[in-house]
Amino acid sequence: MDTIVGIINYIVFFAITAGTYGILSLGLNIQWGYTGLFNIGIAGFYAVGAYTAALVSGPPPGAWDGRIFGGFELPFLVGLLAAAVVCGVVALLVGIPTLRLRADYLAIATIGIAETIRLVLKNESWLTNGVWGLQQIPSPFYDPIHRGVARFLGGHPDLSPWVHDLIFKSYNWFYLLLVLGILFILYLIMQRLVRSPWGRAVKAIREDEDAAAMSGKNTFSFKIQALVLGAMIMGIGGSLYAHYARFISPASFKPLYGTFLVWVMLVLGGSGNNKGAILGSFVVWGIWAGTDFLTGYFPFSATQAASLRIIIIAILLEVILLCRPQGLLQREKRPPTILKKKA
Amino acid sequence: MSLLTGEGIHSGYGDMEVLHDVSFRIEEKEIISIIGPNGAGKSTLLKTIFGLLKPTKGSVTFKGNSITGLTPDRIVRLGMAYVPQVENVFPSLTVHENLEMGAFILTDDFSARLEDVYELFPLLKKRRRQRVGKMSGGERQMVAMGRALMLDPELLLLDEPSAALAPKLAEMIFERITAINETSVSILIVEQNAKESLKLADRGYVLASGQNRFEDTGENLLANEEIGQLYLGG
Amino acid sequence: MQILSRIPQLLIYGVISGSILSLGGIGVSLTYSILGFANFAHGDFMALGAYIALGLFTLTAGLGIPSTPLGPLSFGFGFILSFILAMGLTALTVVLIDRFLFKRLRHTSSIILMMSSIGVALGLRNVLQFFWGPQPHYYIEKIQLAIVIPGVGVRIKPDQVFIIIAAIVSVGLVHYFLQHTKMGKAMRATADNMALARVTGINTERVILWTWVIGAALAATAGILAGIENKFITPELGWQMLLSIFASVVLGGLGNPYGAILGGMIIGLSEEVSTAFISTGYKPAVAFIIMIIMLLIKPTGLLGKRR
Repeated sequence: MDTIVGIINYIVFFAITAGTYGILSLGLNIQWGYTGLFNIGIAGFYAVGAYTAALVSGPPPGAWDGRIFGGFELPFLVGLLAAAVVCGVVALLVGIPTLRLRADYLAIATIGIAETIRLVLKNESWLTNGVWGLQQIPSPFYDPIHRGVARFLGGHPDLSPWVHDLIFKSYNWFYLLLVLGILFILYLIMQRLVRSPWGRAVKAIREDEDAAAMSGKNTFSFKIQALVLGAMIMGIGGSLYAHYARFISPASFKPLYGTFLVWVMLVLGGSGNNKGAILGSFVVWGIWAGTDFLTGYFPFSATQAASLRIIIIAILLEVILLCRPQGLLQREKRPPTILKKKA
Repeated sequence: MSLLTGEGIHSGYGDMEVLHDVSFRIEEKEIISIIGPNGAGKSTLLKTIFGLLKPTKGSVTFKGNSITGLTPDRIVRLGMAYVPQVENVFPSLTVHENLEMGAFILTDDFSARLEDVYELFPLLKKRRRQRVGKMSGGERQMVAMGRALMLDPELLLLDEPSAALAPKLAEMIFERITAINETSVSILIVEQNAKESLKLADRGYVLASGQNRFEDTGENLLANEEIGQLYLGG
Repeated sequence: MQILSRIPQLLIYGVISGSILSLGGIGVSLTYSILGFANFAHGDFMALGAYIALGLFTLTAGLGIPSTPLGPLSFGFGFILSFILAMGLTALTVVLIDRFLFKRLRHTSSIILMMSSIGVALGLRNVLQFFWGPQPHYYIEKIQLAIVIPGVGVRIKPDQVFIIIAAIVSVGLVHYFLQHTKMGKAMRATADNMALARVTGINTERVILWTWVIGAALAATAGILAGIENKFITPELGWQMLLSIFASVVLGGLGNPYGAILGGMIIGLSEEVSTAFISTGYKPAVAFIIMIIMLLIKPTGLLGKRR
């Protein structure tokens, strides 16, 4: 029974992480999938979201901390919104100089901002506590749930041990529901949005920016909005990560790895399709976790195994690009007349 | 045997067919002018002949061999050269380098040919070290034609060589075209400037809505009242 | 005044790091001008070159090829031989990557190619990490004394002089190639207008091949020179420089190899001089900020043409 409990707990952990990636993937989908903006600084936005949430909702600096700022212990939702807002502002600052230019410039600038953010996290100890990171980030709604669970278990002393264990871990179940709930809400919002006139406008920009501009759309403004919106969603993802991991440091946000996984998720799932974005995040996270088991069977060192896993994901990306560039789920087909009429 | 013949050509971009059943022929040493209103498919016809577009139906024959569906880099080796209407020079290269690129596929010495081209366009020789990006429209057109002539082609395709040029420059370009023709190069020219191009043409075709409407000698087409009203601006 | 007195020395370091950035930047610029995409794998081509040279150096030492230091330099013939062979092998590897991957994606969009290059970047880096591990590998263990240039009081090591000379020679060769050889001119023509190049009869596939060969050989050179300067290499070597390289290329004008040289020098000098005023850790951020300022003022860069 212990193994079953272990497996169930692993699945919960798996789903929480995949769900968080699903949120990042939705954010990238609005940028890349619908508007055609090439953001490869996802890890930077993710980190900004996580640090903002930790500073807003986390405890004040401890005696040993290098940081002298933050830790306002505000409610979870306040931190979540702050994370979204700060990420949006960062995106605005990146977008203004680059979104009038070719896509390559945005790509280079976003990787630059991600790297700069990483340097700030490492070097500005007064704010971020440097490489030591931020600790004891609170778990939202932990106390009431923990109390409830304790009361329930106290009232049912005759439960078999494995049921007891599962219920004891029910905070993770709650967190899973929280992540999936937020993911679902964001999904519904995105679905409405991409079917709105705004969504049609950004899709027109993705298809042919010049034509969209000629039909009188302020394409720059729409692109900024899409970049900011996507970054805000990524910030929400970051805040959920911070409250789950409870400890964050610059090492948690390696610039390219996090970004890269999200890209592979979206490309595999099907960019320009919100269901695809979520599906892709679960599939790729599954493959990623699977390679962890797989490399365990070979006589590789831990670092070799880690490298091999990234090589596998890199090959996966290239195979998708070569063989199935549209991803698992294609873009939702809309009657072309709608676009034509506007254009 | 005609130098170039096209029979029943249908062609276009993707699903959009522009040419519907176009036929023509060019004899050796002829200047042929294809005129017609905007959107008639004149440029499309040149691109189809030169292999930039694949005809969906019909055939193109050059010197007795079918070249239907061949790619431009193959066709250029057979002795046909093409000057696009726009972006027909390498702006960051000098005049000399542009002409050199025209001779790219030659492995032997091409200096004699270069002199021939400079003789046709003495101005280019004077400016041979100048970057083409800094030159005027008329000069660029000369560079473009010079580049195309470097392989000593038997047939030269010109897409609106006088477009966007001042009348005087256009006249000079037409005069050069005649001079090129006199070195026994056949020329297929597509023009908006229909009157001028028909004047120097041996024969002309009138293309409208993707179909041949008329074929006659240049003089007769110029004299034809209906064509005059419809396509030559009265 | 304490700070200002350090500046002449920092300028020397700036020229050294600028030389390396320039060599990396030329490749990025050539790839961009011919193939139309920002190649994110270029940094990892640099690391690949550095590791191939390391492997070959071990091999030449094993074969008994002498590596007694040449003159004042801290490395010898065996190393230089490995250096040159590594340029060739890196070029070969990159050409194979093109054949199997980039060539098949060329009909899609530049963004797909860019995405694919990110996959190549991570794949390649982790192949290096798989075989050599993430820890630094020493190129040169000997400690070299710096020469003091009399009068100005700045110090420079013989190896650093070698780096600067190697960069000047490489840039000179690239210049000769682009201006005076048929293939070099065809490369500039293709960068101007690929469609016209094809119509003219230029073999654009061959041009693309040469673009990769030259870019990769210069990337290997940059990677190895960075190894000589730092005395060690890691798989992250190129990635760590990539942002500065991109900044150099954008500053000079994306797609113009001469701009990449100018931009590389400016970025190298700015990064080093900035360490007199702010934390060394912010070097890449300095490059990034210069790039953003350039994009705001003139997005086509210092020497760029309008696209």
